[in-house]
Amino acid sequence: MLELLAGAAVAVVALAIILEPLVRGIRRGPPVTPADFAEDAFTPLEESESPKIQALLALKEIEFDRATGKLSDEDYAQLKASYAQQALAAIEVEEREADDAAEAEDAAEALVRQARAQVRTCPECGPRPESEASFCSNCGRALV
Amino acid sequence: MTILGQLALWLALLLGAWGTVVGILGGRRGDPALIASARRTTYVLAGVISVAAISLVTALLKSDFNVAYVASYTSRNLPIAYKLSAFYGGQAGSLLFWALVLSLFAAAAQWLTPRRYSYLMPYVAAVTSFVILFFVMVTVFAANPFERLPFTPVDGRGLNPQLQNPGMVIHPPMLYLGYISITIPFAFAVAALLSKRLDMGWLHAIRKWTLISWLFLSVGITLGMWWAYVELGWGGYWAWDPVENASFLPWLTMTAFLHSVMIQEKRGMLKRWNMTLISLSFLLSIFGTFITRSGVISSVHSFTQSSVGYFFLAFLGLSIVGVVVLIWTRASLLKTEAHLDSALSREASFFFNNLLLVGMAFSVLWGTLFPIISEVVRGTQVTVGPPFFNQVNIPIGLGLLALTGIGPLIAWRRASPRNLRRQFAAPLVLAALVALALIALGLRDFYAGMAFTIGAFVVGAIVQEFIRGTGARHRLHGENPALAFVRLVGRNRRRYGGYIVHIGIVIYFVAFAGQAFKTEIEASLKPGESVDLRSPYGHTYTFTHLGVSQYEALNRFVSAASLEITRDGKPFGRPLTSEKRQHVDSFGRPTFEPSTEAAIRYTLREDIYVVYAGSVEGTEEAVYRITINPLVTWVWIGCMVLVFGGAVTLWPGGTVGARGLRRPTESGYQARLPAEMPIEREGAEVLS
Amino acid sequence: MSSAAVMDRRALLRGGMAAIVPVLAQRPTQDTGSAAPLRQPELAGRPRDRITDYENDPFIIGVERRLRCTCGCNLDVHTCRTTDFTCTYAPQLHREVVALVEQNKSAEEILAAFVAEYGETILMAPPKEGFNWAAYLLPGIVIGIVGSVIAWVLIRRSRMAAPAPAASNKESPGALSFTELSEDDATRLQAELQRLEQ
Repeated sequence: MLELLAGAAVAVVALAIILEPLVRGIRRGPPVTPADFAEDAFTPLEESESPKIQALLALKEIEFDRATGKLSDEDYAQLKASYAQQALAAIEVEEREADDAAEAEDAAEALVRQARAQVRTCPECGPRPESEASFCSNCGRALV
Repeated sequence: MTILGQLALWLALLLGAWGTVVGILGGRRGDPALIASARRTTYVLAGVISVAAISLVTALLKSDFNVAYVASYTSRNLPIAYKLSAFYGGQAGSLLFWALVLSLFAAAAQWLTPRRYSYLMPYVAAVTSFVILFFVMVTVFAANPFERLPFTPVDGRGLNPQLQNPGMVIHPPMLYLGYISITIPFAFAVAALLSKRLDMGWLHAIRKWTLISWLFLSVGITLGMWWAYVELGWGGYWAWDPVENASFLPWLTMTAFLHSVMIQEKRGMLKRWNMTLISLSFLLSIFGTFITRSGVISSVHSFTQSSVGYFFLAFLGLSIVGVVVLIWTRASLLKTEAHLDSALSREASFFFNNLLLVGMAFSVLWGTLFPIISEVVRGTQVTVGPPFFNQVNIPIGLGLLALTGIGPLIAWRRASPRNLRRQFAAPLVLAALVALALIALGLRDFYAGMAFTIGAFVVGAIVQEFIRGTGARHRLHGENPALAFVRLVGRNRRRYGGYIVHIGIVIYFVAFAGQAFKTEIEASLKPGESVDLRSPYGHTYTFTHLGVSQYEALNRFVSAASLEITRDGKPFGRPLTSEKRQHVDSFGRPTFEPSTEAAIRYTLREDIYVVYAGSVEGTEEAVYRITINPLVTWVWIGCMVLVFGGAVTLWPGGTVGARGLRRPTESGYQARLPAEMPIEREGAEVLS
Repeated sequence: MSSAAVMDRRALLRGGMAAIVPVLAQRPTQDTGSAAPLRQPELAGRPRDRITDYENDPFIIGVERRLRCTCGCNLDVHTCRTTDFTCTYAPQLHREVVALVEQNKSAEEILAAFVAEYGETILMAPPKEGFNWAAYLLPGIVIGIVGSVIAWVLIRRSRMAAPAPAASNKESPGALSFTELSEDDATRLQAELQRLEQ
């Protein structure tokens, strides 16, 4: 009898745990996409998906292979040229993206500045939300 | 406790089905609620199956002989450690053990996998839940460990004496860990196929898992050898028994996968092949369990026969169809990204390594199944024993050993003849010297000579790799040789850890070759009489029979026969004592046939292996089999080296991770803003 | 095997297997008085016969290694009789082998006699004839064919992708340098590599 109860308890707990997310409908937000899980700080270098890092690693590898005598100078030169091109191209892409991001940030900050510029301020109560008003809605003084 | 266990199993059945459905649905729809539920199902499964396992262990420890399983595999006077090991000593329990370990692995996979692979996890949960579902199903419907007897026997039948050995306590779980852990990389592979995200992600996610399961398999197989050597008493450790073969097959395909996956990582080639290999490994691990558990091929290990076989066949068929369909429909996503630059390249050597490994797996499978095939085709039964397997597999094995040395010497992509000469000169010279020395020493066994020679070549090649690598770092970075060596290994753990594993493999081969020089003698000796045996190293051992003593111990009656040993006339350690054990139940009645405990003196060069076969005319005149077993210790040493190499490869943290840690400064600015800048509108609203 | 040895054995057999015979390597000078009886002989395993030089004869062992024990152990006769001391089949098979050796039969003849009596399954490895060749050759053939195909494809591929060797610029081995790149690009790459190395 005790065992049956214990079994039932286990079953109830188990079902509660697995059904809870469905019943509560946790975070029924947008579907999860791979982009949500981009590389984080703990990604080892070799697992990086960045073409730049892959190309740089390949460069280091052929350098090492040549040093241990596994790559002839001709092959080394050829492979190095091709990986150097890849690396540079990837660096360029990354820099452009970084620039874009920076630009985007600039644009955002410009917006903020613009918005700030429109804000009217009460000498007593500080910046006021009502940008079209002429007087402060709090103390009645004229806004500047 | 059996009711609770029974309930837990039924619950696990439902949960397994739930996890499978919710996992796939969640992955498909990307619905966080479903995904969370699938994830939690794996944790709950681990918990519920643990409850079932604890119930069984409790029944075993409490000696509840009303439970058929407990009565069949334990007895009152069985030592506690063996009562515990009876959990996986019989069929029903071992299936539950499978499910338990898999559920723990599945939970660990969900828990430990980095978040960046989350897109795979619901599918992984689905696959693991499905496999667990299968094993729980077999446990519930075909081999239920909780089944009760209509009566309660006074004592159980006890555990097979051959399983009453410390090796047997650890060997099966180790091998099972190996078998079972293959399911995790397989689950990731299937998840990648299902999600159609077939880039490098899944390969990176399973890197550690494949190596860990490969190590478990290697250790499990070696422990099995050790158990056979210590316990079975024939002085060998590998008999090409169907069950041994079954454990060897997935090891071969996993080894092939470990290698060919590097080509996919480096060059984006062999994608379909890698999918095939990991699936094959999984299928072979199931097939191995099937062979062990169904008794389809008669074997010492297959001590039970039941309907379990049909379940396994159905599951195998279903898995094969599923995998084939998945790979087929995703074939276009598995296109190769590059082609070989040259037939003389590391890639090409990997192709041949894979060919030989899979070829060997095929030949072992072929040999294992040939009795059935012959019966179907010719209607005649044949035996396919060690002479066959040795004949077919030794050449393949030697080829593989040679590739172990050749592969690392060839550069990726392209190797020029001049480079090859520079790389191969030293190892080849070393191999030639060894070969000449062996011939001069009078070694005449061809295969053993080949094994030693090729082994020397491989060791030469690996040592050269370490030396040249250290030298290169020294030159490129100006580090002193010691630091250069440490950094060399530390920063290329996979490569140099792999080399250490290769050294371990060479050691195994050398030890195997030692078997060619095994010498043995049988003798019946009265107390005081002695017999001489000359060892392959030229020592003369003299064995003097001291006498037979009989006494009761634990759950058995022991007859112990002792031999005093001298080597070349000088005393050689303490006397060796081999035992005959007649196991008895708690009433002192004999159970099982008498078993034999071999006495072994381990030395690095040769083991002395003594077996007390029995007495003549009920007197102290004892019949012995004495074997001199060269180089056997090196099998165990090879295994340790292999594990050490694996540990070097797996070692977490260190420079690679640390570098990764510092990198966010460099990649953190990649937060891309959409071109239209929704901020404008929102920001305006907020700010105005 | 010399005929004298065989003669010896015949004489032995006539004397019966239980005849007391010194072991090959046993020292003849030793005292061979009777051994004390065991306290509980029935618990010391199955009673054993004395070892004669048949048990250690390399020829007989060689034959027995090729015969399978019929007890279901999957071992050869020699291994089974020297390992599983509870098996009653292996000693019987051993006696049969000895009897055939007594008749001066060659190894092949002995094996043939066993096959005639027990069927092909008595042999540890299938005899190399007829369909059994499939067992021996198929793995090799498959590996050979696949291997040649791979080799052929590889060689063809590598010819097709015949390398266009870049101008060999002899650089001293050392740190990566990018002489063929613009200075700007070269420094950028060096900086990135430096960062990677940290």
